[in-house]
Amino acid sequence: MKTKKIVSLVLASMLAVSSFTACAGNKSSKIVDMTMFAAMAGKEKDENNEIKEIIAEKTGVRVKESWLTGQTAGEAIGSIIASGKLPDFIDGGDGCPTLYENHLLVAWDDYLEKYPNLKEMYTKEEWDQFRQSDGKIYWANVFGNHYKTDTTTGHNGEAFWIQARVLEAYGYPKIETLDQYFEILEKYSKEHPELPDGTPVIPYTCLCEDWKYYCIENAPMFLDGYPNDGCVIVNIDEGADKPKVVDYNTTDTAKKYFKKLNEEYAKGNIDPDFAVQTYDEYIAKLSTGRVLGLCDQYWDFAYSIMGPFSSPLKASDGSEFRLDQLGCDYVPLGLTIEAGMDQQWHSYGDELNNASGCAVTTSCKDPDLAFKFLSMLLDQEIHDLRFWGIKDVDYKVDDKGCYYRTEEMRENWKSDSYKAKHSCEYSYMPQWRGMSKDGKNYMMPDEQPAEFLAGLAEPLKKCFEAYGAGNYADMVGSKYVVAADALPWYPLWSWSNGLGTDTPGGVAWKKMGETKHKWLPAVVISKDFETDWAAYQDAYAGCKPDDFLKEAQAAVDSRLATAQSNGWKPA
Amino acid sequence: MENTTTASQKVKEIDVNKPKFTVKEFKRQWVLVVIGAVYVIYGIIFYYLPLVGWIMAFQNFVYADGIFKSKWVGFDKFRFLFSDDQFIMVIRNTFAMGVLNLVFSTVFAIGFAILLNEVRTKWFKKTIQTISYMPHFLSWIIVTAIVHDALTSTGIINELLLKFGIVEQAYPFLMKPGWFWPIVTFSHLWKETGWNAIIYLAAITSIDPCLYESAAIDGAGRFQKIRYVTIPGIRPTIMILLLMNMGNVLNAGFEIQYLLGNGILQDVARTIDIYILKWSLEGRIMDFSLGTAAGIFKTVVSMTFIVVSNYIAKKRGDERLF
Repeated sequence: MKTKKIVSLVLASMLAVSSFTACAGNKSSKIVDMTMFAAMAGKEKDENNEIKEIIAEKTGVRVKESWLTGQTAGEAIGSIIASGKLPDFIDGGDGCPTLYENHLLVAWDDYLEKYPNLKEMYTKEEWDQFRQSDGKIYWANVFGNHYKTDTTTGHNGEAFWIQARVLEAYGYPKIETLDQYFEILEKYSKEHPELPDGTPVIPYTCLCEDWKYYCIENAPMFLDGYPNDGCVIVNIDEGADKPKVVDYNTTDTAKKYFKKLNEEYAKGNIDPDFAVQTYDEYIAKLSTGRVLGLCDQYWDFAYSIMGPFSSPLKASDGSEFRLDQLGCDYVPLGLTIEAGMDQQWHSYGDELNNASGCAVTTSCKDPDLAFKFLSMLLDQEIHDLRFWGIKDVDYKVDDKGCYYRTEEMRENWKSDSYKAKHSCEYSYMPQWRGMSKDGKNYMMPDEQPAEFLAGLAEPLKKCFEAYGAGNYADMVGSKYVVAADALPWYPLWSWSNGLGTDTPGGVAWKKMGETKHKWLPAVVISKDFETDWAAYQDAYAGCKPDDFLKEAQAAVDSRLATAQSNGWKPA
Repeated sequence: MENTTTASQKVKEIDVNKPKFTVKEFKRQWVLVVIGAVYVIYGIIFYYLPLVGWIMAFQNFVYADGIFKSKWVGFDKFRFLFSDDQFIMVIRNTFAMGVLNLVFSTVFAIGFAILLNEVRTKWFKKTIQTISYMPHFLSWIIVTAIVHDALTSTGIINELLLKFGIVEQAYPFLMKPGWFWPIVTFSHLWKETGWNAIIYLAAITSIDPCLYESAAIDGAGRFQKIRYVTIPGIRPTIMILLLMNMGNVLNAGFEIQYLLGNGILQDVARTIDIYILKWSLEGRIMDFSLGTAAGIFKTVVSMTFIVVSNYIAKKRGDERLF
């Protein structure tokens, strides 16, 4: 009897305390909590993240972001729709059109007029590209958008990456072709088979999981010198006003490239688990510094390995070392199938992806506040908080008003744990690159020239110097083409990413993807390349790629026609 | 003589099984009726009401329009299913893995139970039993991770193979479609054998010891005792469990195939459940109707399995479900 009383007393007091705290929480602030889901892999922020709280006080909104956990982007969006439990903000990736078709998004149009910060993100023509079948805008892509000037220092796109130490070991040779690339990887891995802590090196790996199988899949497009249209090559030999769609999966270059991978796999130069690894395993592998080379897009791996690369490790002889000091940082190479070709691995200028972006859902109770919040995120003050941090804690300002960071601050911003508790980028919400509105600084620290150079580890700096490159983009050395101006359909992947299965081309696209998922790794590990390549090409032809190519051609033509009606002319 | 007894038995049976429903009877039993009703209502809400969703299979269901406004398309979705090579392949995979699981898990569980029963040292028996059913409590995601890690190029299996010089290069188990079904079957065995053996072990324990004694008197050795006493003794249990599991053949799994599968393995790894997920929940496709149709197919086949095997059991005079 007595115990029962005690138990009930405890329960009652717990209840009282919890209801009391709940009330207290409500009273002390008027901050509205909202949620965001991005159909991407990402890192959760800690509760009470410091900058998130500051932004919350200034804007009145606190957003809890969540990310993909194991499932594919499509599945995640599908189950969110089916469950009917939508977050306030969403970046659905490929699922954006599905969200729109199910009437789950709030149109931006009215709010664009109300919040000039948002409207300023794109020109009228650019905004028009976001319009859906009902003529309204439902999402805005937030990346690669430069405020006034293009100041790119990075190479956010795809490349064959190689650790700086490999290049350094052989006196920074000129690497132009796959043969040279794999030769140097093999040589280095034979001469330096282990990291100081005894981890064996892997000369080359590539990811094959879900849509990120582009790491193995689309290199033939780049190797032939074309920019990242993603789903096809758009040949402009007859002039930019007569574009012709070409399938890069069946070219001689494709065969040569996969034959090369097949040979290297047989020689043991390719990670035996490349086709089996998940994205998490891939990142874990890269984080150890044991992978010498890979093909990927910068954003997909680089941010995740910064932390591990800059933290001290124990070598097997007991001394300490750091991977970035060792020269494990990756530099991009713009390879081509034959030496001496022009290439466009790096695309200059802004890349407008109208297929997906940040959206506000119909579940949001106060859409006006949501858009107001998005708009406030673009205020320079908040933008600085997001990407530079707190003044005097995360950056300092010199007499001329230029921002800079000390070594310690830079290290902090590479550390995952520090970022989890301190920084709050709201990385899938509207943001700028390029010059700040103050005209002195840059929107992102890694674009601030002094900051960019200071942020590079010593081996990386030496490498850039040796090649006469001022930054990553120079290192890739692509032909200077502002794709968005010269090629009005660019990037065509923003069209193919939105394909459903309601047209023959869409069905073909889905089947082509599945066939490639199966066959590309299979031909790489094949013991009889020629036979398996032929079998793959047969299976591929069975997917009716022509249906897809026809629709791709139509999409190119229609984008071209729109541009021409807006006064576009080939250069 | 015989006739009269069966006749009177029948009368009795009717009396016992079908009491007349009267107000008086109801008043006497109302507590039981209320308790029973709770379960009936629970069943209706959670098992039968969701079946309304089957309507979607005959519509071109659009989420925004809902069940009431979506267009009716008759059997179109089923027609698409059976003309889709993928679906045929998926059925093959599901059947293959389901049957492999059923056969191997039953044989291994019985074998393991018998072996365990023969162990005379009590502490040893208990220890083995406890250890062997532990994996049952692991979730599939953990089991899959263990299997995955064990089979990669640097996993324990390849390390051993390399150490003993059986292979010269790590063998890519998870890139060979031929290995996938055995791997899945093995994972099921590893996870469930110990647990499945418990029920057989219990059945063995309930066999009358006199039978063993008299078998011993008749000169039966250990193997003969197993052959003539133990196995016949647990035969009803085996039959019932087999019957129940027949309905589960098409539940060959989702997690392990989904988590262990990759691009190369897709032709052997996709099960009906994965197919349903891919079609009905994947972003750009979201064809709930097709997913539902595939689900209905699965349910109907499973039901047929149970009914047919129950019928066969009945014909053979074995133990049965209904």
